[in-house]
Amino acid sequence: MDYIIDKYQLFIDLLPLLMKGLLMTFEVSILSILIGSLLGFLFGILRTLGNKIITNTIGLYLHIFRGTPYLVQLYLIYFVLPSFDVEFLKFDSFTAAIVSLSLYTSSYVTEIVTSAINAVPKGQSEGARSVGMSRFQSLYHIVIPQALKLSIPPMSGVYVIIIKSTAVLSVIGISELTRQGEIAILRLPGNLMFIYLLIAVMYFIYCYPVLRFASWAEKRYGSIGVDPE
Amino acid sequence: MGQYTDVFIEGILTTLALAGICLVLSIFFGIFLALMRRSSNPFVWRSAAAYIQIIRSTPLLIQIYLIYYGLPLLIGNYFGEEATAIIALTIHSTPYMAEIIRAGIQSIDRGQSEGGMSVGMSKPQTMFYIVLPQALANVIPPLLGQTAVLIKDTSLFSIIAVFELMGAGLRMYSETVIATESYVTTAACYLLIYMMMLIFSNMTQKWLGGGAWQTAH
Repeated sequence: MDYIIDKYQLFIDLLPLLMKGLLMTFEVSILSILIGSLLGFLFGILRTLGNKIITNTIGLYLHIFRGTPYLVQLYLIYFVLPSFDVEFLKFDSFTAAIVSLSLYTSSYVTEIVTSAINAVPKGQSEGARSVGMSRFQSLYHIVIPQALKLSIPPMSGVYVIIIKSTAVLSVIGISELTRQGEIAILRLPGNLMFIYLLIAVMYFIYCYPVLRFASWAEKRYGSIGVDPE
Repeated sequence: MGQYTDVFIEGILTTLALAGICLVLSIFFGIFLALMRRSSNPFVWRSAAAYIQIIRSTPLLIQIYLIYYGLPLLIGNYFGEEATAIIALTIHSTPYMAEIIRAGIQSIDRGQSEGGMSVGMSKPQTMFYIVLPQALANVIPPLLGQTAVLIKDTSLFSIIAVFELMGAGLRMYSETVIATESYVTTAACYLLIYMMMLIFSNMTQKWLGGGAWQTAH
Protein backbone atom coordinates (compact mmCIF):
# COMPACT_ATOMS: atom_id res chain seq x y z
CA MET A 1 0.00 0.00 0.00
CA ASP A 2 2.83 2.33 0.90
CA TYR A 3 4.29 1.63 -2.49
CA ILE A 4 1.12 2.71 -4.26
CA ILE A 5 0.80 5.90 -2.22
CA ASP A 6 4.46 6.63 -2.89
CA LYS A 7 4.05 6.21 -6.65
CA TYR A 8 0.83 8.17 -6.64
CA GLN A 9 2.57 11.09 -4.94
CA LEU A 10 5.36 10.84 -7.50
CA PHE A 11 2.80 10.83 -10.30
CA ILE A 12 1.17 13.99 -8.92
CA ASP A 13 4.58 15.67 -8.63
CA LEU A 14 5.60 14.77 -12.15
CA LEU A 15 2.30 15.53 -13.84
CA PRO A 16 2.89 19.27 -14.55
CA LEU A 17 6.29 18.54 -16.12
CA LEU A 18 4.99 15.68 -18.25
CA MET A 19 1.84 17.55 -19.25
CA LYS A 20 4.04 20.35 -20.53
CA GLY A 21 5.86 17.74 -22.60
CA LEU A 22 2.65 16.23 -23.89
CA LEU A 23 1.46 19.69 -24.90
CA MET A 24 4.69 20.25 -26.83
CA THR A 25 4.34 16.84 -28.50
CA PHE A 26 0.78 17.81 -29.40
CA GLU A 27 1.86 21.19 -30.77
CA VAL A 28 4.75 19.84 -32.86
CA SER A 29 2.73 16.92 -34.23
CA ILE A 30 -0.35 18.98 -35.14
CA LEU A 31 1.72 21.71 -36.84
CA SER A 32 3.75 19.20 -38.87
CA ILE A 33 0.69 17.19 -39.77
CA LEU A 34 -1.07 20.33 -41.05
CA ILE A 35 1.88 21.64 -43.07
CA GLY A 36 2.91 18.19 -44.25
CA SER A 37 -0.60 17.26 -45.33
CA LEU A 38 -1.02 20.45 -47.36
CA LEU A 39 2.35 19.90 -49.02
CA GLY A 40 1.65 16.23 -49.63
CA PHE A 41 -1.79 17.01 -51.00
CA LEU A 42 -0.28 19.47 -53.48
CA PHE A 43 2.46 17.02 -54.55
CA GLY A 44 -0.05 14.18 -54.80
CA ILE A 45 -2.24 16.13 -57.24
CA LEU A 46 0.74 17.40 -59.25
CA ARG A 47 1.97 13.83 -59.54
CA THR A 48 -1.24 12.66 -61.22
CA LEU A 49 -1.38 15.46 -63.80
CA GLY A 50 0.73 13.45 -66.23
CA ASN A 51 3.72 15.75 -66.69
CA LYS A 52 6.70 13.37 -66.89
CA ILE A 53 9.25 15.76 -65.36
CA ILE A 54 7.06 16.68 -62.38
CA THR A 55 6.05 13.05 -61.79
CA ASN A 56 9.66 11.87 -61.81
CA THR A 57 10.92 14.71 -59.60
CA ILE A 58 8.24 13.98 -57.01
CA GLY A 59 9.00 10.27 -57.34
CA LEU A 60 12.66 10.94 -56.54
CA TYR A 61 11.66 13.11 -53.59
CA LEU A 62 9.50 10.28 -52.26
CA HIS A 63 12.27 7.71 -52.67
CA ILE A 64 14.72 9.91 -50.76
CA PHE A 65 12.33 10.41 -47.86
CA ARG A 66 11.06 6.83 -47.81
CA GLY A 67 14.56 5.39 -48.13
CA THR A 68 16.20 7.11 -45.16
CA PRO A 69 15.30 6.88 -41.47
CA TYR A 70 13.64 9.92 -39.92
CA LEU A 71 16.56 10.26 -37.49
CA VAL A 72 18.96 10.76 -40.43
CA GLN A 73 16.64 13.34 -42.02
CA LEU A 74 16.50 15.21 -38.73
CA TYR A 75 20.29 15.27 -38.44
CA LEU A 76 20.58 16.42 -42.07
CA ILE A 77 18.17 19.29 -41.55
CA TYR A 78 19.43 20.33 -38.12
CA PHE A 79 23.19 19.91 -38.56
CA VAL A 80 23.95 19.89 -42.29
CA LEU A 81 21.75 22.68 -43.68
CA PRO A 82 23.28 25.39 -41.41
CA SER A 83 26.73 24.55 -42.81
CA PHE A 84 25.68 25.91 -46.22
CA ASP A 85 26.02 29.41 -44.80
CA VAL A 86 22.62 30.55 -45.99
CA GLU A 87 20.94 32.66 -43.33
CA PHE A 88 17.50 31.25 -44.18
CA LEU A 89 18.59 27.65 -43.56
CA LYS A 90 19.95 28.22 -40.07
CA PHE A 91 17.07 26.71 -38.18
CA ASP A 92 16.69 26.69 -34.43
CA SER A 93 15.74 23.30 -33.05
CA PHE A 94 11.99 23.94 -33.08
CA THR A 95 11.94 25.07 -36.72
CA ALA A 96 14.19 22.16 -37.70
CA ALA A 97 11.77 19.79 -35.99
CA ILE A 98 8.73 21.25 -37.77
CA VAL A 99 10.47 21.38 -41.17
CA SER A 100 11.81 17.83 -41.01
CA LEU A 101 8.61 16.36 -39.65
CA SER A 102 6.48 18.21 -42.24
CA LEU A 103 8.62 16.94 -45.09
CA TYR A 104 8.47 13.44 -43.63
CA THR A 105 4.66 13.68 -43.37
CA SER A 106 4.38 15.00 -46.92
CA SER A 107 6.22 11.95 -48.30
CA TYR A 108 3.55 9.66 -46.87
CA VAL A 109 0.62 11.92 -47.76
CA THR A 110 1.77 12.33 -51.38
CA GLU A 111 1.74 8.57 -51.84
CA ILE A 112 -1.75 8.29 -50.32
CA VAL A 113 -3.27 11.16 -52.31
CA THR A 114 -1.82 9.78 -55.56
CA SER A 115 -3.26 6.32 -54.88
CA ALA A 116 -6.60 7.80 -53.84
CA ILE A 117 -6.87 9.86 -57.03
CA ASN A 118 -5.93 6.84 -59.11
CA ALA A 119 -8.50 4.75 -57.24
CA VAL A 120 -11.35 7.01 -58.38
CA PRO A 121 -12.79 5.26 -61.47
CA LYS A 122 -11.73 6.85 -64.77
CA GLY A 123 -15.37 7.10 -65.85
CA GLN A 124 -15.85 9.83 -63.24
CA SER A 125 -13.44 12.30 -64.81
CA GLU A 126 -14.41 11.25 -68.34
CA GLY A 127 -18.04 11.89 -67.45
CA ALA A 128 -17.17 15.29 -66.04
CA ARG A 129 -15.21 16.22 -69.18
CA SER A 130 -18.04 15.04 -71.44
CA VAL A 131 -20.55 17.38 -69.79
CA GLY A 132 -18.22 20.26 -70.61
CA MET A 133 -16.18 20.71 -67.47
CA SER A 134 -12.58 21.79 -67.84
CA ARG A 135 -9.79 19.55 -66.57
CA PHE A 136 -9.43 21.69 -63.48
CA GLN A 137 -13.19 21.68 -62.84
CA SER A 138 -13.44 17.90 -63.15
CA LEU A 139 -10.50 17.51 -60.77
CA TYR A 140 -11.85 20.05 -58.30
CA HIS A 141 -15.55 19.16 -58.32
CA ILE A 142 -15.59 15.45 -59.15
CA VAL A 143 -12.31 13.60 -58.54
CA ILE A 144 -10.80 15.26 -55.45
CA PRO A 145 -13.93 15.07 -53.24
CA GLN A 146 -14.14 11.33 -53.87
CA ALA A 147 -10.40 10.86 -53.47
CA LEU A 148 -10.40 12.72 -50.16
CA LYS A 149 -12.92 10.28 -48.74
CA LEU A 150 -10.76 7.34 -49.80
CA SER A 151 -7.67 8.87 -48.26
CA ILE A 152 -9.11 9.27 -44.74
CA PRO A 153 -8.26 5.79 -43.37
CA PRO A 154 -4.58 5.63 -44.47
CA MET A 155 -4.13 9.30 -43.51
CA SER A 156 -5.05 8.55 -39.88
CA GLY A 157 -2.46 5.76 -39.94
CA VAL A 158 0.17 8.28 -41.06
CA TYR A 159 -0.76 10.65 -38.27
CA VAL A 160 -0.05 7.93 -35.72
CA ILE A 161 3.37 7.39 -37.30
CA ILE A 162 4.09 11.11 -37.12
CA ILE A 163 3.00 11.39 -33.48
CA LYS A 164 5.27 8.48 -32.62
CA SER A 165 8.15 10.02 -34.58
CA THR A 166 8.07 13.13 -32.39
CA ALA A 167 9.75 11.03 -29.67
CA VAL A 168 12.92 11.15 -31.79
CA LEU A 169 12.95 14.95 -31.47
CA SER A 170 14.26 14.54 -27.91
CA VAL A 171 17.74 14.02 -29.44
CA ILE A 172 17.86 17.64 -30.67
CA GLY A 173 16.57 18.96 -27.35
CA ILE A 174 12.93 19.77 -28.12
CA SER A 175 11.22 19.63 -24.73
CA GLU A 176 8.51 17.21 -25.79
CA LEU A 177 7.19 14.28 -23.79
CA THR A 178 10.23 12.00 -24.07
CA ARG A 179 12.66 14.82 -23.30
CA GLN A 180 10.61 15.95 -20.28
CA GLY A 181 10.65 12.37 -19.06
CA GLU A 182 14.43 12.25 -19.41
CA ILE A 183 14.68 15.48 -17.40
CA ALA A 184 12.47 13.95 -14.70
CA ILE A 185 14.71 10.87 -14.68
CA LEU A 186 17.81 13.02 -14.19
CA ARG A 187 16.16 14.35 -11.05
CA LEU A 188 14.75 11.03 -9.84
CA PRO A 189 16.98 8.28 -11.30
CA GLY A 190 15.51 5.68 -8.92
CA ASN A 191 12.11 5.89 -10.62
CA LEU A 192 13.36 5.40 -14.16
CA MET A 193 11.06 2.53 -15.10
CA PHE A 194 8.01 4.19 -13.56
CA ILE A 195 8.63 7.40 -15.50
CA TYR A 196 9.19 5.65 -18.80
CA LEU A 197 6.03 3.60 -18.27
CA LEU A 198 4.15 6.82 -17.51
CA ILE A 199 5.40 8.35 -20.75
CA ALA A 200 4.40 5.22 -22.66
CA VAL A 201 0.89 5.48 -21.20
CA MET A 202 0.67 9.15 -22.24
CA TYR A 203 1.68 8.35 -25.81
CA PHE A 204 -0.84 5.53 -25.77
CA ILE A 205 -3.61 7.90 -24.67
CA TYR A 206 -2.75 10.23 -27.56
CA CYS A 207 -2.27 7.58 -30.28
CA TYR A 208 -4.85 4.94 -29.48
CA PRO A 209 -7.96 6.99 -30.37
CA VAL A 210 -6.37 7.92 -33.72
CA LEU A 211 -5.62 4.25 -34.41
CA ARG A 212 -9.18 3.29 -33.53
CA PHE A 213 -10.46 6.05 -35.79
CA ALA A 214 -8.27 4.68 -38.60
CA SER A 215 -9.75 1.21 -38.35
CA TRP A 216 -13.26 2.61 -38.03
CA ALA A 217 -12.71 4.81 -41.10
CA GLU A 218 -11.38 1.85 -43.05
CA LYS A 219 -14.62 -0.03 -42.42
CA ARG A 220 -16.64 3.06 -43.31
CA TYR A 221 -14.79 4.34 -46.39
CA GLY A 222 -13.02 1.18 -47.59
CA SER A 223 -9.37 0.49 -48.24
CA ILE A 224 -7.35 1.59 -51.26
CA GLY A 225 -4.52 -0.81 -50.52
CA VAL A 226 -2.09 1.74 -49.11
CA ASP A 227 -1.17 0.77 -45.59
CA PRO A 228 1.35 3.30 -44.29
CA GLU A 229 2.19 1.20 -41.26
CA MET B 1 36.36 10.37 -46.14
CA GLY B 2 38.54 7.50 -47.33
CA GLN B 3 39.65 6.49 -43.88
CA TYR B 4 36.05 6.04 -42.81
CA THR B 5 35.13 3.57 -45.56
CA ASP B 6 35.71 0.62 -43.22
CA VAL B 7 33.65 2.24 -40.47
CA PHE B 8 30.69 2.70 -42.80
CA ILE B 9 31.00 -0.80 -44.27
CA GLU B 10 30.99 -2.20 -40.75
CA GLY B 11 27.96 -0.02 -39.98
CA ILE B 12 26.06 -1.23 -43.05
CA LEU B 13 26.83 -4.86 -42.22
CA THR B 14 25.71 -4.45 -38.59
CA THR B 15 22.50 -2.73 -39.69
CA LEU B 16 21.76 -5.51 -42.18
CA ALA B 17 22.60 -8.23 -39.64
CA LEU B 18 20.42 -6.66 -36.93
CA ALA B 19 17.54 -6.15 -39.35
CA GLY B 20 17.93 -9.66 -40.78
CA ILE B 21 17.81 -11.37 -37.37
CA CYS B 22 14.83 -9.26 -36.30
CA LEU B 23 13.06 -9.97 -39.60
CA VAL B 24 13.32 -13.76 -39.17
CA LEU B 25 12.31 -13.63 -35.50
CA SER B 26 9.43 -11.22 -36.01
CA ILE B 27 7.94 -13.19 -38.92
CA PHE B 28 8.26 -16.39 -36.87
CA PHE B 29 6.56 -14.88 -33.82
CA GLY B 30 4.23 -12.87 -36.07
CA ILE B 31 2.72 -16.09 -37.46
CA PHE B 32 1.89 -17.25 -33.95
CA LEU B 33 0.60 -13.86 -32.92
CA ALA B 34 -1.63 -13.76 -36.02
CA LEU B 35 -2.99 -17.22 -35.16
CA MET B 36 -3.57 -16.11 -31.56
CA ARG B 37 -5.38 -13.02 -32.83
CA ARG B 38 -7.68 -15.27 -34.90
CA SER B 39 -8.31 -17.66 -32.00
CA SER B 40 -11.90 -18.11 -30.83
CA ASN B 41 -10.82 -18.18 -27.18
CA PRO B 42 -11.59 -14.63 -25.93
CA PHE B 43 -8.69 -14.63 -23.48
CA VAL B 44 -6.19 -15.56 -26.21
CA TRP B 45 -7.37 -13.18 -28.90
CA ARG B 46 -7.95 -10.29 -26.52
CA SER B 47 -4.46 -10.51 -25.05
CA ALA B 48 -2.99 -10.75 -28.57
CA ALA B 49 -5.05 -7.71 -29.65
CA ALA B 50 -3.99 -5.76 -26.56
CA TYR B 51 -0.33 -6.48 -27.25
CA ILE B 52 -0.72 -5.38 -30.88
CA GLN B 53 -2.51 -2.14 -29.95
CA ILE B 54 -0.10 -1.21 -27.16
CA ILE B 55 2.93 -1.63 -29.40
CA ARG B 56 1.31 0.25 -32.27
CA SER B 57 0.34 3.21 -30.05
CA THR B 58 3.71 3.85 -28.38
CA PRO B 59 6.93 5.13 -30.00
CA LEU B 60 9.73 2.67 -30.70
CA LEU B 61 12.15 4.92 -28.81
CA ILE B 62 10.18 4.53 -25.57
CA GLN B 63 9.97 0.77 -26.13
CA ILE B 64 13.74 0.64 -26.60
CA TYR B 65 14.31 2.59 -23.38
CA LEU B 66 11.87 0.42 -21.45
CA ILE B 67 13.57 -2.77 -22.61
CA TYR B 68 17.10 -1.41 -22.37
CA TYR B 69 16.64 -0.28 -18.75
CA GLY B 70 13.82 -2.59 -17.70
CA LEU B 71 15.05 -5.97 -18.89
CA PRO B 72 18.16 -6.01 -16.64
CA LEU B 73 15.90 -5.08 -13.70
CA LEU B 74 13.45 -7.85 -14.51
CA ILE B 75 15.93 -10.61 -15.22
CA GLY B 76 18.86 -9.29 -13.21
CA ASN B 77 21.13 -10.00 -16.11
CA TYR B 78 22.59 -7.61 -18.66
CA PHE B 79 22.70 -8.81 -22.26
CA GLY B 80 24.70 -6.12 -23.96
CA GLU B 81 23.47 -3.53 -26.44
CA GLU B 82 23.17 -5.71 -29.53
CA ALA B 83 21.06 -8.39 -27.85
CA THR B 84 18.87 -5.72 -26.23
CA ALA B 85 18.44 -4.07 -29.62
CA ILE B 86 17.38 -7.35 -31.22
CA ILE B 87 14.90 -8.10 -28.42
CA ALA B 88 13.42 -4.59 -28.56
CA LEU B 89 13.05 -4.49 -32.34
CA THR B 90 11.59 -8.00 -32.44
CA ILE B 91 9.02 -7.08 -29.80
CA HIS B 92 8.28 -3.90 -31.78
CA SER B 93 7.88 -5.38 -35.25
CA THR B 94 6.14 -8.67 -34.41
CA PRO B 95 2.68 -7.00 -34.18
CA TYR B 96 3.14 -5.28 -37.55
CA MET B 97 4.14 -8.59 -39.15
CA ALA B 98 1.23 -10.32 -37.40
CA GLU B 99 -1.29 -7.84 -38.81
CA ILE B 100 0.08 -8.35 -42.32
CA ILE B 101 0.05 -12.14 -41.97
CA ARG B 102 -3.47 -12.04 -40.54
CA ALA B 103 -4.66 -10.10 -43.58
CA GLY B 104 -2.96 -12.78 -45.71
CA ILE B 105 -4.73 -15.62 -43.90
CA GLN B 106 -8.06 -13.81 -44.31
CA SER B 107 -7.47 -13.45 -48.04
CA ILE B 108 -7.36 -17.24 -48.51
CA ASP B 109 -10.63 -18.73 -49.70
CA ARG B 110 -12.53 -20.83 -47.15
CA GLY B 111 -12.69 -23.63 -49.69
CA GLN B 112 -8.97 -24.18 -49.18
CA SER B 113 -9.23 -25.06 -45.51
CA GLU B 114 -12.52 -26.92 -46.04
CA GLY B 115 -10.79 -28.97 -48.73
CA GLY B 116 -7.91 -29.71 -46.36
CA MET B 117 -10.28 -30.81 -43.64
CA SER B 118 -12.31 -32.96 -46.02
CA VAL B 119 -9.26 -35.04 -47.02
CA GLY B 120 -8.76 -35.83 -43.33
CA MET B 121 -6.23 -33.21 -42.26
CA SER B 122 -6.47 -31.86 -38.72
CA LYS B 123 -7.04 -28.14 -38.15
CA PRO B 124 -3.35 -27.33 -37.45
CA GLN B 125 -2.33 -29.41 -40.47
CA THR B 126 -4.65 -27.46 -42.80
CA MET B 127 -3.31 -24.22 -41.33
CA PHE B 128 0.37 -25.08 -41.72
CA TYR B 129 0.30 -27.05 -44.99
CA ILE B 130 -2.55 -25.40 -46.91
CA VAL B 131 -3.47 -21.93 -45.68
CA LEU B 132 -0.23 -20.41 -44.34
CA PRO B 133 1.98 -21.11 -47.39
CA GLN B 134 -0.54 -19.40 -49.67
CA ALA B 135 -1.15 -16.60 -47.20
CA LEU B 136 2.57 -15.82 -46.86
CA ALA B 137 3.08 -15.88 -50.63
CA ASN B 138 0.22 -13.39 -50.99
CA VAL B 139 1.60 -10.90 -48.47
CA ILE B 140 5.21 -10.77 -49.67
CA PRO B 141 4.80 -7.18 -50.99
CA PRO B 142 3.65 -5.67 -47.66
CA LEU B 143 6.17 -7.84 -45.79
CA LEU B 144 8.95 -6.37 -47.93
CA GLY B 145 7.60 -2.89 -47.21
CA GLN B 146 7.65 -3.64 -43.50
CA THR B 147 11.21 -4.93 -43.88
CA ALA B 148 12.24 -1.56 -45.29
CA VAL B 149 10.67 0.09 -42.22
CA LEU B 150 12.52 -2.40 -40.01
CA ILE B 151 15.86 -1.47 -41.57
CA LYS B 152 15.15 2.23 -41.02
CA ASP B 153 14.07 1.55 -37.43
CA THR B 154 17.50 0.14 -36.58
CA SER B 155 18.84 3.71 -36.81
CA LEU B 156 17.31 4.44 -33.39
CA PHE B 157 19.74 1.98 -31.81
CA SER B 158 22.51 4.53 -32.23
CA ILE B 159 20.87 6.27 -29.24
CA ILE B 160 21.61 3.28 -26.98
CA ALA B 161 25.16 3.08 -28.37
CA VAL B 162 24.80 0.14 -30.74
CA PHE B 163 27.33 0.62 -33.50
CA GLU B 164 25.30 0.44 -36.71
CA LEU B 165 25.08 2.66 -39.81
CA MET B 166 23.77 5.73 -37.96
CA GLY B 167 26.39 5.07 -35.27
CA ALA B 168 29.07 5.10 -37.99
CA GLY B 169 27.85 8.54 -39.09
CA LEU B 170 27.84 9.79 -35.50
CA ARG B 171 31.36 8.49 -34.93
CA MET B 172 32.66 10.20 -38.06
CA TYR B 173 30.97 13.41 -36.95
CA SER B 174 32.40 13.26 -33.44
CA GLU B 175 35.92 12.65 -34.78
CA THR B 176 35.97 15.04 -37.75
CA VAL B 177 33.25 17.56 -36.78
CA ILE B 178 32.22 17.79 -40.45
CA ALA B 179 28.44 17.42 -40.30
CA THR B 180 27.84 17.51 -44.05
CA GLU B 181 30.03 14.58 -45.05
CA SER B 182 29.18 12.45 -42.03
CA TYR B 183 25.43 12.66 -42.32
CA VAL B 184 25.17 12.83 -46.10
CA THR B 185 27.25 9.65 -46.29
CA THR B 186 24.96 7.99 -43.75
CA ALA B 187 21.89 9.00 -45.74
CA ALA B 188 23.50 7.75 -48.96
CA CYS B 189 24.23 4.37 -47.36
CA TYR B 190 20.60 4.03 -46.24
CA LEU B 191 19.46 4.96 -49.74
CA LEU B 192 21.79 2.29 -51.14
CA ILE B 193 20.17 -0.35 -48.91
CA TYR B 194 16.73 0.97 -49.89
CA MET B 195 17.60 0.75 -53.59
CA MET B 196 18.75 -2.84 -53.18
CA MET B 197 15.45 -3.58 -51.45
CA LEU B 198 13.53 -2.03 -54.37
CA ILE B 199 15.47 -4.08 -56.91
CA PHE B 200 14.94 -7.23 -54.83
CA SER B 201 11.23 -6.44 -54.55
CA ASN B 202 10.92 -6.04 -58.32
CA MET B 203 12.79 -9.31 -58.89
CA THR B 204 10.50 -11.27 -56.55
CA GLN B 205 7.56 -9.68 -58.32
CA LYS B 206 8.77 -11.15 -61.61
CA TRP B 207 9.51 -14.57 -60.09
CA LEU B 208 6.19 -15.02 -58.30
CA GLY B 209 3.68 -12.89 -60.20
CA GLY B 210 0.67 -14.14 -58.18
CA GLY B 211 -2.74 -12.60 -57.63
CA ALA B 212 -1.81 -10.18 -54.88
CA TRP B 213 0.97 -8.72 -57.00
CA GLN B 214 -1.48 -7.14 -59.40
CA THR B 215 -2.57 -4.61 -56.80
CA ALA B 216 0.79 -4.24 -55.08
CA HIS B 217 3.00 -1.25 -55.60
